[in-house]
Amino acid sequence: MLASLEWLKQYVDINISTEELCDKITRVGLEVDTVTKLGQGLEGVVTGKVMEISRHPNSDHLWVCMMDYGQGGEPVQILTGAQNVHQYDIVPVAVVGSVLPPSSRNPEGLKLKKAKMRGLDSFGMLCSADELGIDNKVLLPEQRNGIFILPPDTPIGVDVKEVLGLNDTVIDIDLTSNRADCFSIIGLAREISAITGCPLKMPAMDVKEAAAGKASDYVSIKIDAPELCPRFATRVLKDIKIAESPEWMQRRLRACGVRPISNVVDVTNYVMLELGQPMHAYDADKVAGRTLIVRRAEEGEKLITLDDKERILNPSMITIGDAEKAAGLGGVMGGLLTEVTGETKNVILEAASFHGPSIRRTSRALGLRSEASGRFERGVDTILTHNALNRAANLLENMGACETFAGIVEAYPEEVKPAVITTTPAKINGRIGFVISREEIVEILVKLGFGVEEKGEELVVTAPSWRRDIECDADISEEIARMHGYDYIESHQPELTITQGHQSVLDDVKDAIQDYMTAAGLNEMMTYSFIKATAFDKMLLPAEDSRRNCIELLNPITDAFSVMRTTMIPSALQTASFNLRNHNDSVAVFEVGRIFLPKALPLTQDPEERPMLAAVLSGRRKALNWCDTKENVDFYDLKGIVEGLMEAMQVPEYSLVRSSAPYLHPGKSCDIIVNGRVIGSFGEVHPVAQENFELDQTTYVLEMEVQPLVASATQVPKYQHLPKYPAMSRDIAVVVPAEVTNEEIEGVIRTHAGELLRSVRVFDIYTGKQVAAGCKSMAFNLTYQAADRTLTDAEVDASMKAVIAQVAEAYKAKLRE
Amino acid sequence: MEATMNEQLQALKEQALGELAAVDSLDALKNLRVKYLGKKGPMTEILRGMGKLPAEERPKIGQIVNEIKSLLEKEINEKTGVLEKKALADKLANEKVDITLPGRKPAQGHLHPVTLTLREIKKIFMRMGFDVCDGPEIEDVYHNFTALNLPPDHPALDMQDSFYITENYLLRTQTSGVQARTLESMEPNTPIRMICPGTVYRCDYDATHSPMFHQVEGLVVDKNISLADLKGTLELFCKQMFGNDVKVRLRPSYFPFTEPSVEVDVSCPICQGKGGCHVCKDSGWLEILGAGVVHPNVLRMSGYDPDKMTGFAFGLGVERIAMLKYGIDDLRLFFENDQRFINQFK
Repeated sequence: MLASLEWLKQYVDINISTEELCDKITRVGLEVDTVTKLGQGLEGVVTGKVMEISRHPNSDHLWVCMMDYGQGGEPVQILTGAQNVHQYDIVPVAVVGSVLPPSSRNPEGLKLKKAKMRGLDSFGMLCSADELGIDNKVLLPEQRNGIFILPPDTPIGVDVKEVLGLNDTVIDIDLTSNRADCFSIIGLAREISAITGCPLKMPAMDVKEAAAGKASDYVSIKIDAPELCPRFATRVLKDIKIAESPEWMQRRLRACGVRPISNVVDVTNYVMLELGQPMHAYDADKVAGRTLIVRRAEEGEKLITLDDKERILNPSMITIGDAEKAAGLGGVMGGLLTEVTGETKNVILEAASFHGPSIRRTSRALGLRSEASGRFERGVDTILTHNALNRAANLLENMGACETFAGIVEAYPEEVKPAVITTTPAKINGRIGFVISREEIVEILVKLGFGVEEKGEELVVTAPSWRRDIECDADISEEIARMHGYDYIESHQPELTITQGHQSVLDDVKDAIQDYMTAAGLNEMMTYSFIKATAFDKMLLPAEDSRRNCIELLNPITDAFSVMRTTMIPSALQTASFNLRNHNDSVAVFEVGRIFLPKALPLTQDPEERPMLAAVLSGRRKALNWCDTKENVDFYDLKGIVEGLMEAMQVPEYSLVRSSAPYLHPGKSCDIIVNGRVIGSFGEVHPVAQENFELDQTTYVLEMEVQPLVASATQVPKYQHLPKYPAMSRDIAVVVPAEVTNEEIEGVIRTHAGELLRSVRVFDIYTGKQVAAGCKSMAFNLTYQAADRTLTDAEVDASMKAVIAQVAEAYKAKLRE
Repeated sequence: MEATMNEQLQALKEQALGELAAVDSLDALKNLRVKYLGKKGPMTEILRGMGKLPAEERPKIGQIVNEIKSLLEKEINEKTGVLEKKALADKLANEKVDITLPGRKPAQGHLHPVTLTLREIKKIFMRMGFDVCDGPEIEDVYHNFTALNLPPDHPALDMQDSFYITENYLLRTQTSGVQARTLESMEPNTPIRMICPGTVYRCDYDATHSPMFHQVEGLVVDKNISLADLKGTLELFCKQMFGNDVKVRLRPSYFPFTEPSVEVDVSCPICQGKGGCHVCKDSGWLEILGAGVVHPNVLRMSGYDPDKMTGFAFGLGVERIAMLKYGIDDLRLFFENDQRFINQFK
């Protein structure tokens, strides 16, 4: 909320610096966001009158103005390129030596010097509103372009800051939604008064009621939907003279970010800003039957609102109807047909209380948010309606704009009662954890406008009508704490039983996986849980793939974040792609994240949120270095990471089998199987998927479940005795057909080597000139060991002989010397 | 004869010592040893010729020969030691590498700064006896709002702020929902001390807002828990997180689920409140979390009796703390996952 300091000072004396004031109100819960000194950087610009104006002899667009800005003596020559200046106009004159603030025209600001334009001297400049630092949005369209033409009765030779209210300071307060009462100049002044002790002064609200007749003869009011409108009050104004509102009012409106329009509209806005009560003005003669009825709209009912747009209404919307039609959307926007125009003779002024949530839904549904709807959403004090009507009538009468009929015509079916709370100082202090005296508690409450009745130990507290947020004694505690000052509440450690904090085993395992992956050289990424729906197509998932059953957001920010991921693959590949396209020649990243699996769609029960590990590798195996490998990562780098992880997590049994995941290369990919179930897949990204994710180099990706690792990961390893007797090692190399797998040969070796074999390890694979085409040579190292004795050569030789024979037979393998 | 032989021997000794002094390699030394002490060497020859000597002279000459032999032996051994040392030194000198070439670093990955910060926050609170809880990211309206004293018409329920899935499900906008879930899961009026770190979602996307970010929710419920306890606990946390010199201040604020509600500011760790600082914009204070005394309605809705038990709750933004800690100035960096960014955090 924007508040003009000059306006505030009308209702409460402020004897402290602006800085101190802002600090004080922030410390009681009204957070000051920014403080803007209007006219900052604007120095020496004065009002001046155009005495003569003529075309520049050497230019088709420049004008030569002879200016009187109170300098005495002859008028001063100033050139302008603006086309809206006429003789005797009064305009802002930046004389030589004056300073202009930064603006869209002069981003750095400007210090005026004498200038020469096409051969003629110019001793200054005529200014637009923008050049004075006034925001366009608070100006009428005709004031936005060209020189800012001032009212003809403006005195000459006066600092424009004075004329335009640019000496004022505006503070922007970030109001929390419970403090509706401070959404006005008076509300803020009231709070300042409670802090500083300077008394609150109220604006003039006396109404002459000089028009002959009673308002009730001219308007009748009915509330058909009291649940949406507790109170609807009106005054009727006669012989209205529509004109501009006075400059003092316009500049206050501008300071608070509201654009002046005409006296009646300006007064309704002014009263809203001042008292916090939104108002509306109807052309009384266009209100059919001179009757206003507050009702729910009919389904499909139509209304053209003030902005000339046709709105389709429904019964959740508060409608103000006349005898025939909808005349406005209560609290949101008036109707075009009953709008006050230049021809309006009589006006019905409305001040009402509307149901906040309903206003919120309506204004959101129609995309109509305004100063008024914002106030109703937070809640408006029902007591304010009369004050607002009286204040508005007072202002318009004093402008000579109307006469007022006697009386207020209203409907107020049920009086809104303030909250009454019975509490004790002990209860209040218990919640705060600090002793504040009974006297101070009562004093604070009274200062804030609460009624306090002392009944023995108890305090019976009546909340002021404007504090609709006060409901229970916890609320009273807050009032006392914030006014006493949080700085003066001593901190304290809770007195609790000593306990140990724990995290879940799953969290422990997630931490262990993160640590393993970083030790394996991968960086941790953190990706959004929502992905683009087309990611499943990019992954080449078939139409029936269950991962396509994903949870969709009703209101995504962009279609790039429209569905909850059922797989981490797109997030991983996008991160790889982003990195490779942004100055990283290699990528090695992982994430432990969640996927979201619906049990039914649309969602009727909690979906499964499954923790997953994803990793992606591409590019160099090692950073470029003179002594390190220059090779790129391949399938076996990722496989090694998976194998190492399974080992680190102590998974007792798992197998890796050829995968048919559609996004993976069918020849270079594996499924990970634990307890007979596929818990993940990894391998080289399918070339088509690679292209779909805009990856221009071979990339390897892993995705697997975390939960199956949890049970074994936390087991304490059992120590195995170190062998007492030495091991014997033998190597064999066999030439086998290229398609024979390592697993097959190892299987044959293990089956036939006998029980003394401890391990088999392939240590070399060769294809090339030395072996026949279509074949490969594989070298294995076999280790033998017995627990109870040193082995003899004869024992091992016998085993090797059997192994060689079996391998040779099984694969027509040749032993390689 | 004796004199002559003695003279011969002395001359031989001098000759040998002279040659020894000139020897500069282990090979030459080996030759020298063979030459003077070997079986075919002059000593042996002299010893062989001793038969011609009178019997009484033989022991004398024999003694001289042995003395010379052991002297030479000793000198040669010493020289061998010297030359071996030198040879090793030469060998090592020849083996020197360019120590300025870079080494083979083991590949080392890095944790994300949000994870690092989260781990630190968890550690601090676990030491204070807080349990770490977890909750769903796809939350129902009841737990995300209603149970937190946000009635169905509260402005915070607006589509503008929350990602909705159905009328009843949404992406949680705050980890506070776990407050209600934890309270519900307990026997009524059981003391609670927990934190819940987690991912939360809001419809906002610019340099200072991310549609997904991380929060840590905290909740303490027990007898006689007050605002002063909240202040004391958070002071302890802030000192551990930002250092012992950090100052903490509370400012009134508003959250529907706490009353009183406060914003917690810490003195700016960048400028220590001295000003001239773009991080705290010269205010000397930085807002780091929202907190308050649990609203009686929240306790009541979850079966707790607000007249017997009170509590405090807080919610802190993890990215916010990570940004302060590491001096990161753009929230979007956290989710772009540029390795050049992640690599910087240890």
